[in-house]
Amino acid sequence: MRLFTTVSVAVLASLSLAGSAAAQTSGTINAKALVRQPITITNGQDLDFGIVIQGTAKSISETAAAAGRFDATGTASANVNVNFTLPANLTSGANNLPIGTWTGCYNQSAAVNSSGCTTIASMAGTTATAFGNVAGAGRLWVFVGATVTPGAAQAVGSYTNLVTLTLTYF
Amino acid sequence: MPRPLILALVALAIETAPCSAQLVVQGIRDLDFGTVIQGVAATVTASDPTRSGQFYFKTPALGTRIRIQFTLPTQLNGPSGATMPITFGTSDAMAKGTAPTSNPVSFNPNTTATFTMTSSVDANVWLGGRVTPAAAQRVGSYSNTVVMTVTIF
Repeated sequence: MRLFTTVSVAVLASLSLAGSAAAQTSGTINAKALVRQPITITNGQDLDFGIVIQGTAKSISETAAAAGRFDATGTASANVNVNFTLPANLTSGANNLPIGTWTGCYNQSAAVNSSGCTTIASMAGTTATAFGNVAGAGRLWVFVGATVTPGAAQAVGSYTNLVTLTLTYF
Repeated sequence: MPRPLILALVALAIETAPCSAQLVVQGIRDLDFGTVIQGVAATVTASDPTRSGQFYFKTPALGTRIRIQFTLPTQLNGPSGATMPITFGTSDAMAKGTAPTSNPVSFNPNTTATFTMTSSVDANVWLGGRVTPAAAQRVGSYSNTVVMTVTIF
């Protein structure tokens, strides 16, 4: 009788501990982040149509010397989405000069649009690309062209508006 | 003499089995800060539908009392030994039972939280946080482990 009592207490203690351990369970996830350099975009060159004649449309190709150019820096080889905010008119006071038929290209290795510039298929949509790796630095040059269409009675004067490039890591 | 001992063993085994069989804890989704810019702190809230971390747990029965405890990192580990601080605010955890009548409850993931399962036997727990990259933080991928432990008491 004494033996049984001793053994029973030992078993009780053992199972009680086992039961407590089994009622504790863990799950695991990861916390993660991808660190990138800030993106900088500077005005490399305005898109300049120069002198435009009333009633005569004028186009500047994205590969022309007068094309607009954005100079961007970021993390080398990092993926970015390219988006534009494009005006429908250039303005001179209350006067509008229609602008459209936007074109663009980007170069990941040099500020050159005459060669090695990849055409942007849709200026109204999102284009996925990546910063180039130029001696370890992330670089991207983006060029834009367009067509202005002055009316026959277009008010003379200087017209201007903003073209905005947005680059977003993805 | 041996018979009472055998009976005692069987009875205890049946009594302890349900807890081990029915307490389940699973990691469902990583806490993902996505792209973080050098020098710019980034926060993910517990209610963020895509970036918050997510756990799921299931208890044996309604009325079960549980403790939830996180093992939280203080830094994420990056390339070439680089580290980035990560912190968790006092309302960066949120639990909600799976029953339609369950309400979300925010709590502090830095301390042990106690709950009683009243409307459902299972629940999801979401976790937010904040990373603070330095201005010269080394670029690249950073990560660390978050553990959630559920204890029935």
